[in-house]
Amino acid sequence: MSSNPLLVGAVAYTANVVPIWEGMRDYFADTDAPIDFILFSNYGRQVDALLAGTVDLAWNTNLAWVRTVGQTDGACRALAMRDTDTVFQTVLVARTGSNLDGLESLRGRRLALGSQDSAQAAILPVHYLQQAGLGADSVELLRTNSDVGKHGDTGRSELDALRAVLDDRADAAAIGINTWESIGREELMPGAFEAFWTSPTYSHCNFTALPGLDADRTDPWVEALFAMDWENPRHREVLEMEGLRQWVPPQLDGYASLFEAVEAQHISHRW
Amino acid sequence: MVNHELVLAPTMDPGLVLDLVERVGRAARFGVVEVPLGEGELDRSERTVAAWCERTGNELVEVTAGVARVRRGRSADPYAGLSPDQIPGTRLWMYTNFDCNLACDYCCVRSSPQTARAALGIDRVHQLAAEAVPAGVSELVLTGGEPFLLPDIDDLVAACTAALPTTLLTNGMLFRGRRLDALRRMDRDRVTLQISLDSPTSEVHDAHRGKGSWDRAVAGIQAATAEGFTVKVAATLPYEQTHHVESFHAFLESLGIGREHRVIRALARRGSAEHGIELTLETLIPEITVTATGVYWHPVSAEHADQLVTRDIFPLQSALDQVRHRFAEQRANAIAAAQWFPCA
Repeated sequence: MSSNPLLVGAVAYTANVVPIWEGMRDYFADTDAPIDFILFSNYGRQVDALLAGTVDLAWNTNLAWVRTVGQTDGACRALAMRDTDTVFQTVLVARTGSNLDGLESLRGRRLALGSQDSAQAAILPVHYLQQAGLGADSVELLRTNSDVGKHGDTGRSELDALRAVLDDRADAAAIGINTWESIGREELMPGAFEAFWTSPTYSHCNFTALPGLDADRTDPWVEALFAMDWENPRHREVLEMEGLRQWVPPQLDGYASLFEAVEAQHISHRW
Repeated sequence: MVNHELVLAPTMDPGLVLDLVERVGRAARFGVVEVPLGEGELDRSERTVAAWCERTGNELVEVTAGVARVRRGRSADPYAGLSPDQIPGTRLWMYTNFDCNLACDYCCVRSSPQTARAALGIDRVHQLAAEAVPAGVSELVLTGGEPFLLPDIDDLVAACTAALPTTLLTNGMLFRGRRLDALRRMDRDRVTLQISLDSPTSEVHDAHRGKGSWDRAVAGIQAATAEGFTVKVAATLPYEQTHHVESFHAFLESLGIGREHRVIRALARRGSAEHGIELTLETLIPEITVTATGVYWHPVSAEHADQLVTRDIFPLQSALDQVRHRFAEQRANAIAAAQWFPCA
C-alpha cells in the first residue's frame, strides 16, 4: 500500500459498509490514487474529522454536505456522486384505497416522518408541505427519531413510519425512494401501500473534500473512480453493494431544496 | 385524522415486508437472519417472503416452524473452485453388496466374509442407472464389499454400462473360473476396473489385507490389463505416508498403469479403521452413494447414520437434490462465517 493513501471517511450504518470500503480500497490499490478508509458512527463526527483534517474525503449524505458547506463558508468541494444520488426522491405513501392524492390531500391528516436528521423522510417532506402552504396547523406530524446521527441511512425510521400507517397511527408516511423500492413499491404489496405523491428529484450523497486537498491528489482519484465499470465483475460487486451503476460528477443544483429547508427549519449546522 | 374506514385484503403481508427490510438490512452480506412469520396465514407469509426475496435479490433459505431464514444477497456459486468431476451428483456410487472375501483392518464399511450381503439387487441397479441419466449423473461407480462375489455381477455392470460409463471397484483377487467369464462379458469400452493395491511390495498391503493378498491383487491387475480393460489402481495409505510414494509410482509404472489411473487416498477413520483422517459431512465434498438401506453422503460413510441422506432411494432426483441443496447451504454458511469471524 502507498505510504500516503487518500483517507476516506464513511459512516458505518450497516455491517456491509466494511466489505464496501474494503472493495473500494482493493480497487484503488491498483490505481495511481490508493485509498484507505476510516469508519465513523455518525455523520456529525465524520464532518468534524473532515474539518480537522483527520480524513481527506468524506462520503457524505446530502445533509452532511449542507452542514459541511455551512461550516466552511462554502469552501468545500463535492467530487463525485452515484448516479442514483442525482435522482433521489421522497415518496409519500398511504394505504391502498385511501384516496389521498397530492400534498393538499394531507390537510387535516397525520403524516409519519422518519428521523429528524433524514433529509428524505423528515426535512424535505416538511419543506415540501410548507411550500404547498401546509404548516404545522394543517398536517399533524408523527415523528420517529430512530438511528439519529446516521441521516436516515439505516432506513429504520422510515420502516417505523410505514408501520405507523399499518397500525392506523398515521394516514401516510414519508419515505425515501430507496425504501419504497426495498419494500417492493405497489407491485409487491397490492392492497397494502400506494404512493400518492412523489417529490422532484434532488441530490443525495457525495464525496466531499476541503479546499486544502490539492487537485493533483483528487483528480487522479476521481478519474479512477469514474473508471469503475459495471460490466467488470470485480467492480460490479462493489457498485452493487453501494447501490449504483456509475459514478458521476456532482450535481450541486440538486441540493438547493435541502439548503432552503435547513435554513427555513432552523436546523443547526451540527448536532 | 386517521382513516379507519379502509377494508383491505392485501395478498401479501405488509408488516412482514417491513420486518424483512429491517432485519435483512442489518445483516452482513451473505449472512442469514431469521424472520418470524407472525400469526397470519402461513401461505400468505411464505408467499410474501418468497416474493420479497425474489424482487430484492435476497435468498429464501427455508421456512420452518413459523420462521423464515433469509440470506442477504444470493449465495456465491457453491461449486466455485471445484473441478467438474467434484460437482455433487456427477458420479453416482452404488454399493452392490457388503460382504467381502477379505477383512481389511481399515475397511470403511467393515466388510468381511462374515458381513451380511445386503445386496442392492439388479432391479434397483436398473432403476438407478435409468434415473441417473436425466438427473445429470455422468458416471456410475460400483463398489462393495467385493462385487465379484455376486453371481450376477456382469448383469449389474451391463445395466450400468447401458446407461453410462462405469467404474467397478474390486480387490482383483477373484478373476478365475465363472468370475473371469463374468469379467470377460463386460463392455471394455464402458468399464474401468479400479483395483486396490496399497504398496509396491507385499508387506504393507498384506499387513492390512491379509497374507498373500498383494500377490493376487497384482496378478489381478495384470489379468485385467491383459483382457483389454482400463485399470486404475487405488491405494489407501495413512495420511502421513501419502507424500512418500515414489517407489509405488515406479512399481505402477512397471505394471503399465499410467499416472492418470493412479488414485492415492488417505486412510479415513471410519468403519474398522481405528486411525485416520476425520471425515464429517461438513468436511466432505459429497459423492452420492446408494446402498440397499438408503442414500448416503459419501461412499466412505455408507454404513454410518451421521451421513445418511435419506432412506428413500427413489426418485433418485429427489435424493440428489437434497444433497446438492445441503452442500450449497454448507458452502454458503462457510462463506458467511468466514466473513463474520475473521478477527474472532
